[in-house]
Amino acid sequence: MIQLTRVCKTYHRGDGTPVVAAQDISIHVERGEFVALRGPSGSGKSSLLNIIGCLDKPTGGTYSLDGEDLSGFSDRQLSRIRARAIGFVFQSFNLLPRTTALENIELPMIYSAGRVDRKKAMATLERVALRERANHYGTELSGGEQQRVAIARALINDPPIILADEPTGNLDSKSGTEIMEILRQLHKEGRTIILVTHDDTVARYALREIVLKDGTMASDQVRQAHPISAGHISGGTQ
Amino acid sequence: MRLISGFGLAWRSLSRYRLRAFFMMAGVMIGICSLTILDSVGQSTKRETMQRFKNMLGTFDTVMIRPGAGRTRGMVSLTNVPPTLKFEDAQAIADDVPEVKRVAQLQNAFDIDVQYRDRTDSPAIFGVSANWLDLRGDQVAQGTFITTDDVQSLARVAVLGSDVVSILFPGQDPIGKTIRIGEVPFQVEGVLVSRGAGPGGASLDHLILIPVSTASKRLFNRDFLTMVIAQLRDPDQNDVAVRKITALLRQRHHIAASALDDFTITNPAATMAQVTQMGSTLSETLEGTAILATMIGGVVIMSLMLIAVSERRKEIGVRRSVGASRRDILVQFMAEALLISSLGGLIGIAFGLGGTNLLARIQKLPPIFAWSALVWAAGISVGLGIVFGIYPAWKAAQVDPVTALRS
Repeated sequence: MIQLTRVCKTYHRGDGTPVVAAQDISIHVERGEFVALRGPSGSGKSSLLNIIGCLDKPTGGTYSLDGEDLSGFSDRQLSRIRARAIGFVFQSFNLLPRTTALENIELPMIYSAGRVDRKKAMATLERVALRERANHYGTELSGGEQQRVAIARALINDPPIILADEPTGNLDSKSGTEIMEILRQLHKEGRTIILVTHDDTVARYALREIVLKDGTMASDQVRQAHPISAGHISGGTQ
Repeated sequence: MRLISGFGLAWRSLSRYRLRAFFMMAGVMIGICSLTILDSVGQSTKRETMQRFKNMLGTFDTVMIRPGAGRTRGMVSLTNVPPTLKFEDAQAIADDVPEVKRVAQLQNAFDIDVQYRDRTDSPAIFGVSANWLDLRGDQVAQGTFITTDDVQSLARVAVLGSDVVSILFPGQDPIGKTIRIGEVPFQVEGVLVSRGAGPGGASLDHLILIPVSTASKRLFNRDFLTMVIAQLRDPDQNDVAVRKITALLRQRHHIAASALDDFTITNPAATMAQVTQMGSTLSETLEGTAILATMIGGVVIMSLMLIAVSERRKEIGVRRSVGASRRDILVQFMAEALLISSLGGLIGIAFGLGGTNLLARIQKLPPIFAWSALVWAAGISVGLGIVFGIYPAWKAAQVDPVTALRS
C-alpha cells in the first residue's frame, strides 16, 4: 500500500546550503506490516516518516498510497489523508498545552468530521486505559500517560497506518514497554505500523527492519515473528 | 472544516490564553468605546445646535436686514447700530420687492428697567410689528398678541417672555396687569410660549414685546429700526431677493456706486449651515482620532497574534499532523482575530453607550442612542479583525509542520 519510488528529499539550511535527507530511496510496505526504520541521527529516518505521513513532500521520486500517486496532491488533499488514514505518535508526545486529555483526543475529529464525537473519544481513551484521566491536563499526566493519550489521538479516526517517531524515547522502560505493547496490539488488529527508533529492544517488536545511512538505504531485513519476550526497553536514549 | 467550528476552536484557544485575549481586546475596546461616545455626542450636539438655531430664527424663509456694514458684536440694539435703516425703508422693501411676502420691523434695546409693584427686572425690549408672531414662528401661550390697531394707535400694551413672567409675576396671572417699562406704564396683554435656549445657550425668553410704533415714539424716541426681517415667497429665491433689496436700499440711501452698503443682509439658513458645518468638522476630526486609536488597537491585535503564532508553532504542527490543512489553520487564527476584535468592539460599544448616556445625564440632555454609531463601531471592529488578523493567520498557515514538530 505504501510505495516509495526513488524518493529524494533535500532541505535548505538557513544559509542556503542544501542538506540531503533522503536519496533515491525505494521502499514498498504492504498493509499490516510492522516496520522499524533505524539508523544514526541525521540518516533521514524522520524525513522519510514525514513523507510517508503526508506532512512533507519529496523533492524527487514518487510516493503512492494505495496505488494513488500523491505527487500532484494539494495541501487540502494531503491533509485529508492525514486526517483519515494516518496516525502520528511523536517522541515528545506533542499534546496541546492547556488542553485536557479528552480535548486532545477529539482534535483530529474536528478536521476529519468537522465536529466532535465525545462518546467515541471516551471509548478511545478507554482503549489506552485512561478513562479516569479524561479531564486532566497534559501537565498533570506522567510521560507514559501522555504518550497513551497521544496514541489514542492517533487512533481516534481509526487510521490504517500508524507512524511512530521514537515513541519510547522520552519514557522510562516500564512505560516504554506499555507503549510498545499497545503498538503490538494495534498491529495485531491489522494496522500498518512504521516505527522510527534507535533502540534495539524497541526495534525487536517490528517484523521488518530497514536501516538508513546518510539518506540512503543500507539494509532491509524481514524478521520471523514477534519475539515472545521482548525484555525491557531501556529508557531515554536521546 | 466549517467556519462555525473555526469559531468554536478560536473560542477554546482564546479561553486558554485569557490574559493575552484581554490585552488584544483592550485596544479595540477603548477605541470603539471612544468612537461610540464621540459619534453619539457629536450627533446629539449637532441636533441640539440646530434646535437652538431654530429657536432663535423661528423660520427659515427669511432674510434679515440690519443697519451698518460688517459684523456687529452680538445682537443688534439701538445702542450699537447707526440710525440709517428707517421705517420707510421697511415699507419700501415690502412694497417694491416682489419676492418679499411681508416684512417685520424691529426696534430693540437691552437691559431696560421694568417694574411691577416692588418687583424689578431688566429684560430686552423688542418693539415689533404685528406680524412678528408669524415671521418668528412664536406662539402666544396666554392672552393676545399685539395687533395692527395697537401699532397704529401707539398702544401701550406688552407681551411678556416666559422668563419675565416668572420674575415679575411669580405664581400670578400677569394678563391685564400694568407694568412700567422705563417710566412708561404698559398693560400686559399676552405671554409667549417659551423658545428655550439660543445658539450661545442663553435664554430667548427674557424679553418683552411692545408695538414698534410705541417703542419708537413713546419709549425710545428713535426713528430708525434695528432690524427688518423680510419673509420671502419662495426660500429658493433668496439670492434674487437679496440682490433686489440691496439695490433698493442703496438707491434709497443714495449710496454711490463705489461706496459700501450701509446695511447688512444675512441669510439665517446659510448661517446655520455654516455653523453646523463647523460643528461637524470638529466632530469628524474627533472621530478621526478615535478611529486612529482603534487602528492602534488593531495593530496591538496583530502584534500579539504574531507573537502567539510563533509561540504556538508546535500547536500548529500538531494540528497539521492530525489533519488540519493550511486553510484550516488560516481559518482558525482568522476566527480568533475576528472574535477578539468583535468582542472588544461589543464591549466597547456597551461602555460607549453607557458613557454617552452618563454624559447626557450630566449635561441634562435627553438620552442618546445613535444607531449610526453602533453600525460604525460594529463595522470597524469586524473590519479590524479581518485587516489585522489576516497577516498573522497567513503566517500561521505558512508554519512548516515538520520543523514546528521537531522543535
